[in-house]
Amino acid sequence: MNNRRFAVIGTAALLALTSGCSSMGVEPWERDILAKDEMQLTTDPVEAAIDDHIYFSKEASSGGRGFGGGGCGCN
Amino acid sequence: MTDKTPKSVSATLAAATCSLLGSAPAAPVQAQEDPGWDFNTALLYYGEDNDRVQDLSLNILGKRYFVDDRALTLGLTVDTLTGATPNGAIRQGVPQTFTRPSGSSVYTIPANELPLDDTFKDTRVALTAGWEQPLGRLWKTSVGFSGSFEYDYTHLGLNGGLSRDFNNRNTTVSAGLAIARDEWDPVGGTPIPFSPMLDVGDTGNKTGTETKDVVDAVLGVTQVISRNLLVQLNYSFSNSTGYLTDPYKFLSLVDGATGDTITRVPAPGVEGPSHEFRFESRPDDRTKHSVYTQAKYYMGGKVLDASYRYMTDDWEIDSHTLDLRLRWPIGEQSFVEPHFRFYTQSEADFYTISLVEGIELPAFASSDYRLGNFDAITAGLKYGWTTRGGNEMSVRAELYQQRGSIPGNLLIGNQVGRETYPDLDAIIVQFSYRFSR
Repeated sequence: MNNRRFAVIGTAALLALTSGCSSMGVEPWERDILAKDEMQLTTDPVEAAIDDHIYFSKEASSGGRGFGGGGCGCN
Repeated sequence: MTDKTPKSVSATLAAATCSLLGSAPAAPVQAQEDPGWDFNTALLYYGEDNDRVQDLSLNILGKRYFVDDRALTLGLTVDTLTGATPNGAIRQGVPQTFTRPSGSSVYTIPANELPLDDTFKDTRVALTAGWEQPLGRLWKTSVGFSGSFEYDYTHLGLNGGLSRDFNNRNTTVSAGLAIARDEWDPVGGTPIPFSPMLDVGDTGNKTGTETKDVVDAVLGVTQVISRNLLVQLNYSFSNSTGYLTDPYKFLSLVDGATGDTITRVPAPGVEGPSHEFRFESRPDDRTKHSVYTQAKYYMGGKVLDASYRYMTDDWEIDSHTLDLRLRWPIGEQSFVEPHFRFYTQSEADFYTISLVEGIELPAFASSDYRLGNFDAITAGLKYGWTTRGGNEMSVRAELYQQRGSIPGNLLIGNQVGRETYPDLDAIIVQFSYRFSR
């Protein structure tokens, strides 16, 4: 896919999602479940970093959840 | 806060909620009055079959909260790596001898075996430091540093992030930027792309250090859909420039009819390669785009964590990654979590398995299996429990399997049937301990 077009579509999707989200959500007193440790997007940052590092070393893709990872001359 | 709620009640609830949640929906719960450190530690064993890469890794991540949700994060990782890795050459019906990267000795691979370089030994020390700080009621900022040090590779990076909450904190928009400068100082020097592998002691094909610069940017939206459902959508951009080649990998130079590697004879009295090998060459620029989406769904105590990533880059690699975890509580104090991950990628446009003698070399070529066409599956299970002291422990065991194929049009003569993708089986075993001090 053309890279510039990909970037434009991605940005537009983010903006559309943001505007469409204004009607969703919960009230502050309804956050009991969302506040649980296991409901955080990254429940274990160390395990997430380990996995990112393993897959960065063995596959041609990286990042997505956060930055691209790397920082190694992995063989 | 809503207009329908009486002011005093809403103010109290908002204050209580903020102190419980931090400033962003995705932030871990942390009471502000707890000034101690929260430590996440893990000991990892990663082992590939056939004596390929083995890694023993110690990881410590400490986080200390201060008043007003400010937080300091410090991380340390120590990896001890050993084992063998495919050197990029193809199999042959006869033994093959290679000069080691150091240029000081040779190693020989038996006939019909996948050529692996077993000189792979390294210790990696990685450090991270980060600072998070709210800016006012809705904004949050972070800055960080990363450094990684190996015998032959150094990474230094800086990152920064900014996020803002909207819609009663149900929507968080975030942006992040990271820059890095990495330096290769390979054992025995950096090979000149496409230069031939030389005899022991001959360094005419090597130069000094090389660098690469990486810029990463992430734009994201996190949205609370309901009491039970949280979703995230990220767009990531990554650009790497500089030396993107793997200095330890090379390709076999083959006969255009038989597909067999051209033989060579070392200089008299000197050890050296038995065949013609050319060091690989990759473009000095790579731009990647990816879209990542993740959902966390709470189902009566169980939590489903599902994510999908699509990546495309200007090396013509496309990949899809699906990751599923289901956390299943067992009583009040423990849980099991099955994990399944599926990954698939197409090969880079310069991926090939050999170079043909007598034909003009392509601009770029690599036979690195990680740039090839393959699927990978991870399947595993984690068991976690809370200790009497309130600390968390977990142990996980996973299998990682890569299965690839070589496009038929890349195979020449005798390579058909003899040459196969270097499939990989690995195990991941991890013990984690989380505690506060």
